[in-house]
Amino acid sequence: MTMKPWFLGVSALGAMSMGFFTKDIRPVVNPAIKQVGLHAHDTHAATSLLGQFRTSLSASLFLRADLYLHNGVEMRPLSDAEVKAGKQGVGGSSAEKIKLHDDSKIITVIPPSSHDFRGLLGNVERSITTYKNMTGHTHQTPTQTLPLFRLMTILDPQFVQGWTTGGFILLWDQKPGCLEKSIAFLQEGLRNNPKSIDILTQIAYCHLKVLPKANKLTRDYRAALTYIVAAREIGKDNFDILTEQELDALKQNYWRMVICFREINDYKQMLRAAREGAAMYPDDAVLARHVVEAERLCAGKFTEVTPVIISEPTDSDL
Amino acid sequence: MKILTYKALARSVVLESIRRKDLWVVAILGFLIILASSALGFFGFDGLQVFAKDLAVTVLGLFSTIIAILTSCRLIPDEIKNRTLYPLLARPITRLDLLVGKLIGAVVVTWISFLVLSALTAVALMVFQVKFETIMLQYMILKMIGLVLVCSVSLALSTYLTPSAGATMSFIFAFGCPMFVRALTMGYESAGPISKPIFPVINALLPQFSLFDMGARAVYPNWSPIPVWIIGFMLGYAVLYSSAMVGLGWLKFRKQAV
Repeated sequence: MTMKPWFLGVSALGAMSMGFFTKDIRPVVNPAIKQVGLHAHDTHAATSLLGQFRTSLSASLFLRADLYLHNGVEMRPLSDAEVKAGKQGVGGSSAEKIKLHDDSKIITVIPPSSHDFRGLLGNVERSITTYKNMTGHTHQTPTQTLPLFRLMTILDPQFVQGWTTGGFILLWDQKPGCLEKSIAFLQEGLRNNPKSIDILTQIAYCHLKVLPKANKLTRDYRAALTYIVAAREIGKDNFDILTEQELDALKQNYWRMVICFREINDYKQMLRAAREGAAMYPDDAVLARHVVEAERLCAGKFTEVTPVIISEPTDSDL
Repeated sequence: MKILTYKALARSVVLESIRRKDLWVVAILGFLIILASSALGFFGFDGLQVFAKDLAVTVLGLFSTIIAILTSCRLIPDEIKNRTLYPLLARPITRLDLLVGKLIGAVVVTWISFLVLSALTAVALMVFQVKFETIMLQYMILKMIGLVLVCSVSLALSTYLTPSAGATMSFIFAFGCPMFVRALTMGYESAGPISKPIFPVINALLPQFSLFDMGARAVYPNWSPIPVWIIGFMLGYAVLYSSAMVGLGWLKFRKQAV
């Protein structure tokens, strides 16, 4: 029995037309949610390998960003043995206002000649590679690392730190339109990681940050609250399975939520948020102070309010 | 005349490489470089120069090392397997001459591949408005000297091992040695007084591939070119180490039954 040509044509057309609907079908059959339990890469060898490759590649790109900041000079953290032996890191420049990472515990990968047993070969390496004395060093502008963040998030859309740090760096130079770009980037990250507290917290940060050079002179508390409240709901529902990084982000989220409610004069919500946060983080002094402050404001007592300080994201460490 | 012998042997390696269409692989790899660079245009070119250069030297270093190893590792085993070694050894050449000639041929093939890849990479970099600087030339010269070292190590290993085992070991050496040397420098200070003297010995025995890679210096801005004496020193090191490797290969090959 031979296959009729028209049947082949109809089949091909049918397959093509089905292809047009894959965009709509995907969210149904493969929703972008954080799964509880085993992932595909935990159960299928090939998927696992590919997943590991993507994760490794995006992680190595993330590390490469550090090289860009140090203009190619490779740095490494001090080992536990070195810290115990009293070895000091190179330290950063005091002239830099925003600290990109903790420089007190990092040193150059290639040791200085006084600590190098290789003699002439060591000197040759120091001449050939990007080596210099990094004591009290400064950093390059992080904006040149942006292509890396774009690449690592394309490779591994579930790499939340890539989205949040990339979103943070997009605001760095405060160029016109940077806020819109940062929010659009983070929204893309949120579409891939709809349950990510870090990304929601970072979007809220964008709305709260004052960017004088980009002509954003006010903090948009109401816009920020949309994301802060969403992050709170996710945090409450998944508190027991949150990672250390997510727990930090959630705590920061509560600090901001309290301040946002206070700034829009919703003291009841402020008190509720502060108590809720304090119950989750009983050791946190900031939230404890906010509870007292909120109680006084609710009671109509004048209180000296804590200043609005929007701390830099904790996960921006490069 | 040894030079004529080496020239003839090297020529045969190059012709064999062309016959085997190895250079097509280089062309395909080069095409991939161009394709990848055009894909990067997605990010816009502003501020992408460092990233483009970084990618270019990484790809160049990786592909040229792969070509060097794969070319060098199969030369002697292929001659034995195809029984083409008999007519070669029937001529008035020694086995050492054969090894030297083959090494020169492998180096020439690797250099041609490297230069083709470099030219294609330069085209890709031009898209990103990256200017060709003196330091890039130094990078290329030093890399080409380093490829001699890679070829000699691979050739020596291929006389002791099967082609695939030799290639595998060569890859381990080429990509593992820089990491191992780094680990040695990191671990030296915390090592005990008894083990400390071993560190310089191990370091001296290992091929110092990383000293031929000044890619980082070429990539990142505001780094000056290196003094010429360093290139001269590294050339001397490569010649000495490669001679030792050929000698090591010859020790095995001179008594090998074919």
